[in-house]
Amino acid sequence: MARGSSSSQSASSSSSTRPGTAAPRGSAAATAGMRRRRLGGSSSASGSSGAAVGSGNASNMLRFYTDDSPGLKISPTVVLVMSLCFIGFVTALHVFGKFYRYRSGSGP
Amino acid sequence: MGGGFRVLHLVRPFLSFLPEVQSADRKIPFREKVLYTVISLFIFLVCSQLPLYGIHSTTGADPFYWMRVILASNRGTVMELGITPIVTSGLVMQLLAGSKIIEVDNNVREDRALLNGAQKLLGILIAIGEAVAYVLSGMYGSVSQLGVGNAVLIIIQLWFAGIIVICLDELLQKGYGLGSGISLFIATNMCENIIWKAFSPTTINSGRGAEFEGAVIALFHLLITRTDKVRALREAFYRQNLPNVANLLATVLIFLIVIYLQGFRVVLPVRSKNARGQQGSYPIKLFYTSNMPIILQSALVSNVYFISQLLYRKYSGNFLVNLLGKWKESEYSGQSVPVGGLAYYITAPSSLADMVAHPFHAIFYIVFMLSACALFSKTWIEVSGSSARDVAKQLKEQQMVMPGHRESNLYKELNRYIPTAAAFGGVCIGLLTVLADLMGAIGSGTGILLAVTIIYQYFETFEKEKASEMGFFGL
Repeated sequence: MARGSSSSQSASSSSSTRPGTAAPRGSAAATAGMRRRRLGGSSSASGSSGAAVGSGNASNMLRFYTDDSPGLKISPTVVLVMSLCFIGFVTALHVFGKFYRYRSGSGP
Repeated sequence: MGGGFRVLHLVRPFLSFLPEVQSADRKIPFREKVLYTVISLFIFLVCSQLPLYGIHSTTGADPFYWMRVILASNRGTVMELGITPIVTSGLVMQLLAGSKIIEVDNNVREDRALLNGAQKLLGILIAIGEAVAYVLSGMYGSVSQLGVGNAVLIIIQLWFAGIIVICLDELLQKGYGLGSGISLFIATNMCENIIWKAFSPTTINSGRGAEFEGAVIALFHLLITRTDKVRALREAFYRQNLPNVANLLATVLIFLIVIYLQGFRVVLPVRSKNARGQQGSYPIKLFYTSNMPIILQSALVSNVYFISQLLYRKYSGNFLVNLLGKWKESEYSGQSVPVGGLAYYITAPSSLADMVAHPFHAIFYIVFMLSACALFSKTWIEVSGSSARDVAKQLKEQQMVMPGHRESNLYKELNRYIPTAAAFGGVCIGLLTVLADLMGAIGSGTGILLAVTIIYQYFETFEKEKASEMGFFGL
């Protein structure tokens, strides 16, 4: 049993043709159950590979940032608020610009 | 791995300063996703109407005119750069990684993080670089005219807008929204363009009295005001230098053709090896690489235009420069159009009549378009990790096999279809682009094709989201 599990582990990581030969070994039910569980675990961990089969792969061609990386974490709401603030800032610049030009134009 | 100097590691010190949207820690409901997408879109649209503060003028020839469609940018607004920073940095990094100039092991978590960081950093740097280049090159009036303070303000505005676009794109991709920001913005820009050209209520006086700009509105206006209805109809269909109904119909036709062709696919049956009876299928679409060939092709063409225009303005007498392209100001829009050299031959002929008059130009253009699209398509599958080898590996990792084939044959079997599909799909896309250009579809052929493929992708995503939602709550 231990040998079976270790062989399946190595097979999945090196992606050789081992699992085909390893499948009939050991008690079939136990191996299959274990495999299925492991399969589920791996597909949820890798995430993107699970969805790839059904959907084709056109949708992820321009996906650049799918992984987490360490960095300045911000939540999505902050992004939206930040953008709105930026828009407000530029608008304010326009308003003040007009105001200032009006004042300086009429002053001297 | 290990040993030696790796370029990627240069990014590490900057990694902690890069803004990073948190991944969703729960499953975002469909309704919320739509909400996030709509808000992002709203921000983008406002930004692409909001004029930059402090600019002096935006008149004169626009060297980036040809890039505007695919880069979702608007002249003189905060979105002047559009998605240029993201697309450029993304393409550069993918090409670098694909050609093994920087080594990335996709199985190592840290490497992926570094690559993403590098992409983002490059995007931010490109945003600054372009902002500075725009201001210094005097696109908004010379620096002495603007004043140093305003110049700095403009750079900051452009740069911050670049960061916002990067963040919005990341937000949408991390599972809060639908699809990717890039395609969303391109498609929106394009659709806005089409709707505007069809229904624009502005009137333009071009010597024959006031005319409406929008094709549909002009049709009704002409039909109602003119007494000779047949001539009015002809006028509405074939008027020059303003969008006409024929253009609109061509756009719709191209739209339908592309949607129809999207359904063409080869379905390979696959079967899970350990769960008995779990059947699946792996579809290989005709448009295997979707719209990537035209994105790359138009990026190439617009770069050629840009360089050629710059050179022509400085050294117009030089033989080599003239070989690259000769430019002339068009009388209608004040836009520079290529009239000679390489730049002329890779530009679409303006009409069928033009095509008959200059057959060599037409043939050269078509050959260039088709071969460029096919080549880019074939390169892209290698670069983006969707070549036969990668797909075979992916299927193997998921323990899928093709019934009736041995495992070692999987790659060979996939290799029979995938490169062909990629190349042929690229040619089809190129052909459609040429067709759209010749029929005078609104926007450009490239723009239409981009918009349609993106909208179709969105449609698919929508269906899938809905289906999964139903499976969850519907019973």
